[in-house]
Amino acid sequence: MPTRGLGLLWGTKYMDSSNALAKPPEEEVPAAILRGTARGLEIVIEAKRSIASIASEVLERLDEAPAFFKGSDVRVRVVDGPLPTGCLARLDEIAEMFELRIVEVTASAVPEPNLATGSAPQAIEEPPAEPVVVELEVVAPEPAPVVVAPPPAIVPPPIVTPGTRVFVGPVRSGVILDHVGHLFVFGDVNPGAEVRATGNIIVLGRLRGTAHAGIGQDVGFILALRLEPQQLRIGRQVARASDSDKPASEPELAYGTGGGIIVERYAGKLPRNLVTSI
Amino acid sequence: MGRAIVITSGKGGVGKTTTTANLGAALAALGHTVVLVDADIGLRNLDVVMGLENRIVYHVVDAIQGKCTVQKALIKDRRMENLWLLPASQTDDKDAVTPEDMRSLIFELKTTHDFVLIDCPAGIEQGFKNAIAGADDAIVVATPEVSSIRDADRVVGLLAAADITAQLIVNRISPKLVSRGDMLSKNDVIEILALEMLGAIPLDDQVIATTNKGVPAVLEGKSLAAKEFLRIAKKIAGLEVERESVGFFTRIGRALGLSATPA
Repeated sequence: MPTRGLGLLWGTKYMDSSNALAKPPEEEVPAAILRGTARGLEIVIEAKRSIASIASEVLERLDEAPAFFKGSDVRVRVVDGPLPTGCLARLDEIAEMFELRIVEVTASAVPEPNLATGSAPQAIEEPPAEPVVVELEVVAPEPAPVVVAPPPAIVPPPIVTPGTRVFVGPVRSGVILDHVGHLFVFGDVNPGAEVRATGNIIVLGRLRGTAHAGIGQDVGFILALRLEPQQLRIGRQVARASDSDKPASEPELAYGTGGGIIVERYAGKLPRNLVTSI
Repeated sequence: MGRAIVITSGKGGVGKTTTTANLGAALAALGHTVVLVDADIGLRNLDVVMGLENRIVYHVVDAIQGKCTVQKALIKDRRMENLWLLPASQTDDKDAVTPEDMRSLIFELKTTHDFVLIDCPAGIEQGFKNAIAGADDAIVVATPEVSSIRDADRVVGLLAAADITAQLIVNRISPKLVSRGDMLSKNDVIEILALEMLGAIPLDDQVIATTNKGVPAVLEGKSLAAKEFLRIAKKIAGLEVERESVGFFTRIGRALGLSATPA
């Protein structure tokens, strides 16, 4: 099965959902799309639409089968810009009404990437494990009359900016995190796991698996509280841990130069040439 | 309604079957009705460890295929009134049952027993999927070796994807090797796997000896491993657990409420 290049994937689970997004005709894009995945419910939100239309779309879809998703985890994906202010709070309210839990919010500035590879995708080639369980029909492009007024904008700004993904770990063996943009991992990346991003990778924990930053780019860095990777890849360069490496004792930064990957102590400051990569 | 716990590890030979047998015997000794299910179809072992192999008439595949009732396939333990074994088939393979079969089988057993302990085969293929299908919780057994921990980590991820929370038992810890720095300590393992710890079983010759005799170590004497199995069983049953062997200062600290005691 031809898979797209670097999508917002977690393992293989998101593959289908991001594919489905591919090219909907301009007018018929609803403000929000709901679909069931193996890991719960996914809501894809058009950031350009108003909060009211997003909320009513979500409400309407959930109302069609109120009991079905009860108690499940919800992952929100924002496409085409940052989430409008106040929208997350509104979604939280709705989630509470239907006893759902929002566990992750991802935003992507460029929803159809394939950045590095042009048309030949070479990212993860795995058969989709359990792809989409339920696909709720998406027909009504016109939002229904507004049910509830949006709340005042008292929410703090979301941590997630377009293109950055925050993942709460640990990332366990066998898991591949693949992301277009920067990737933040809270927790360890265990041996046998792989984190990959077209941007930079920051691991607030021990990085003991494989990391690939700056896919398709010239610059990029990997920062970890404890950098003990099996292998580091930045852009097109590869470095593997030397066999005699001692356990790391302080945060370290790895970045690519023309001649190879440099690992140095991270003292709270990025080298100047890396600043442009953010 | 009882509780079904799958005992799994990913890697083979780390002590899943021994752990299942001993925890089952310990839970039964605490007065619970327990059934042990051998999910390792084609390579059955649990019956040998329990010393019940020559009593097998029907097995789990017979029960699932309706050749006999589930109750009829259960073998009562020689020593304990409230401990039962559902043996695996030796002639079929893992494809003989499906996760749905197992789910309804385990559900049925849960209606008649307090604890259903499922002995999972090594690996993460069909046998693993069958074994975890009906489980409410999981116990992951790991030995303090990097290969075992690597596999355990993978298994915990798979369990999490199936919405099963896992707790950890570290098996075959050798205090001597740990203190010499030649073995990963209990804490090293916890740190890597980031799991809640049920207990650590010390390396103990007694376990090998009793296992070969077909008697769970728990039922035979006072070895360190037997004590630890009993302690873990109490923890699983939700009983107050007596102190671990802790140092003077730790105890003072706990008395003052400074550190979390295992509940």
